[in-house]
Amino acid sequence: MSKILDVKDLHVSFDTYAGEVKAVRGVSFYLEQGEVLAIVGESGCGKSVTAQTLMRLNPEPPARIPYGEINLCGHDIIAATEKEMQAIRGKDAAMIFQDPMTCLNPTMPVGKQLAEAIRRHQNVSSKETAKKVVELLELVKIPNPGQRARQYPHEYSGGMRQRAMIAMAVICNPKLLIADEPTTALDVTIQAQIMDLLADVKEKTGTAIILITHDLGVVAGLANRVAVMYGGRIVETADVDDIFYRSAHPYTTALLNSLPNPETDRKPKAGRDPEIDRDTESGQDSEIDRDTGTDRGIERLVSIPGSPPDLLAPPVGCPFASRCNKTMQICREKMPPYFTVGAGHQSACWLLHSDCPKTDSVN
Amino acid sequence: MAERLLHTEEIDKYFKVAGGMLKAVNHISIDIYKGETFGLVGESGCGKSTLGRVLMGIYPPTGGIITYNGETVNLRNAKTRRKYAKKAQIIFQDPYASLDPRMTVGHIISEGMEIHDMYDKHRRTERIVELLELVGLNKEHANRFPHEFSGGQRQRIGIARALAVEPEFIVCDEPISALDVSIQSQIVNLLYDLQQKFNLTYLFIAHDLNIVKYISDRVGVMYLGNIVELASSDNLYGNTLHPYSQALLSSVPVPDPKREAQKKRIILTGDVPSPINTPPGCNFAGRCPKVYDLCHEQAPVLKEVQPHHFVACHLAG
Repeated sequence: MSKILDVKDLHVSFDTYAGEVKAVRGVSFYLEQGEVLAIVGESGCGKSVTAQTLMRLNPEPPARIPYGEINLCGHDIIAATEKEMQAIRGKDAAMIFQDPMTCLNPTMPVGKQLAEAIRRHQNVSSKETAKKVVELLELVKIPNPGQRARQYPHEYSGGMRQRAMIAMAVICNPKLLIADEPTTALDVTIQAQIMDLLADVKEKTGTAIILITHDLGVVAGLANRVAVMYGGRIVETADVDDIFYRSAHPYTTALLNSLPNPETDRKPKAGRDPEIDRDTESGQDSEIDRDTGTDRGIERLVSIPGSPPDLLAPPVGCPFASRCNKTMQICREKMPPYFTVGAGHQSACWLLHSDCPKTDSVN
Repeated sequence: MAERLLHTEEIDKYFKVAGGMLKAVNHISIDIYKGETFGLVGESGCGKSTLGRVLMGIYPPTGGIITYNGETVNLRNAKTRRKYAKKAQIIFQDPYASLDPRMTVGHIISEGMEIHDMYDKHRRTERIVELLELVGLNKEHANRFPHEFSGGQRQRIGIARALAVEPEFIVCDEPISALDVSIQSQIVNLLYDLQQKFNLTYLFIAHDLNIVKYISDRVGVMYLGNIVELASSDNLYGNTLHPYSQALLSSVPVPDPKREAQKKRIILTGDVPSPINTPPGCNFAGRCPKVYDLCHEQAPVLKEVQPHHFVACHLAG
């Protein structure tokens, strides 16, 4: 398989009145043909900025790319001019956004918007274009495509708008589809439809997908590989199974543990470390008695104390150090490098250093 | 069973809109018991927030009776509503929109106590500090303004405000939907601890079914203004009877790749229909995979098909 995307040591900063916000601080990843890479993280971790930078969608200024390399299907994205980018966008890589209403033109019928995009990149007659519009709407399973093509976005439901966005994104058979929180604005039953559709589109067109999300459930269903981002850095990257079953970074582990397990009944479970449960944001315990957690027979959720770092003044060491329950002296002083845990599994955590005394394991 | 705190009988909330009547809440009869967490799930537009607001007295019901602690409360009467507001409080979804940006945190928390004429001024100041510490903030935070806080901290302020008037019943309207995953569990744990400490009763509204299952004793599933299934949390998730609940639960992505690969998803076709001028028969008939003739003619009523398990479907029971 060949790499269609290779990102090396990407930095993105925004110049604001308050100073330089270092949104992305040295991110490297690659993508092979037909692969689904999920970038997971909380708001403000830099996942959307990373994705937008791949298509140079951030206005520059205020955005800046101090250094880094992006190679997308043989194009040097960092050096590309706006004109070159316009040829790349839509053709080599296309994007699906979170909120389809703000991305579709409200004053134009959906079919016309699709036709516009087709004629922008392909030299076809208007008759063929009309035929292709209907085919595209059929591909994304919009009922009555002929009639629906003449309707305006406001006549579509949220799920259908997202389908129309997907149709627009796959017009030129892009090698890479970037889906930025494609289902966050949708209800679960509609979310299931859209995830199904994305898997289907991937099957039919063979496109690679970068899926940006904060929902680990969505990741488990669609992704092959996962990159977990925190504080502008990728803290762990691995195959989807390794992330969910053998995570090596305390942040990934805490994130997974903070979700209630939907398959277990609400019965008491022994053996959970009560120390992890300190959950006040100021880092101190609140007055409540910690031992009451199992009164009604439910297991407390493991929560991560504190909140994500301020990227105006990012910490010198590991970005997660202030919230981690296994922090050591070095974590606050020096940024951890990537340690190889297994095949294709890398994690940036000092606990994995060969000189680090072994604790029970990070899990 | 525990003592009944809140009881509703056939309550309705209709909104007059262009093109007809929007039946946001339609003939809902539920009981909420003292000290329990009653979860309410459903897709957007199903009426779950409207029901929460009707129970809070924010919207007067169009019809039906609300009984609180055995007494009928007429929420159309401003005086009753005010008295009721001391017992029933609400925590809103959006911690950015629900706090007045021009009031200090201390003022936000004490406003309720002032309105209900609770304590003297000195004691109220003490209470503010107590409440802040209770929700995991510091006393220095009392003089700050909401914009100085993160989303999770603001939600804590919202909780302190609700607790200030010492309520018995709290409507949590999507209290964690706007928060990041790592902060969500902090708030869920806090709500749980407070419930234990003050014996609070929660109506927990959310669309995240995993969290609702985790926190609730009983769960009601709503669809287009009706409760279609109501059961204990384990029962609802383990023995789902209504076709809509089955589809809803199967759509929830599980954070586990192996289970996710094995799972059979029931994918519903189409979208939730408009709640304006709904056709006769079952509201779900248009999307139901198990629909048959009777569904289009007659609306099913919520009935107890198994002990403490209520379903509104012609196929059940």
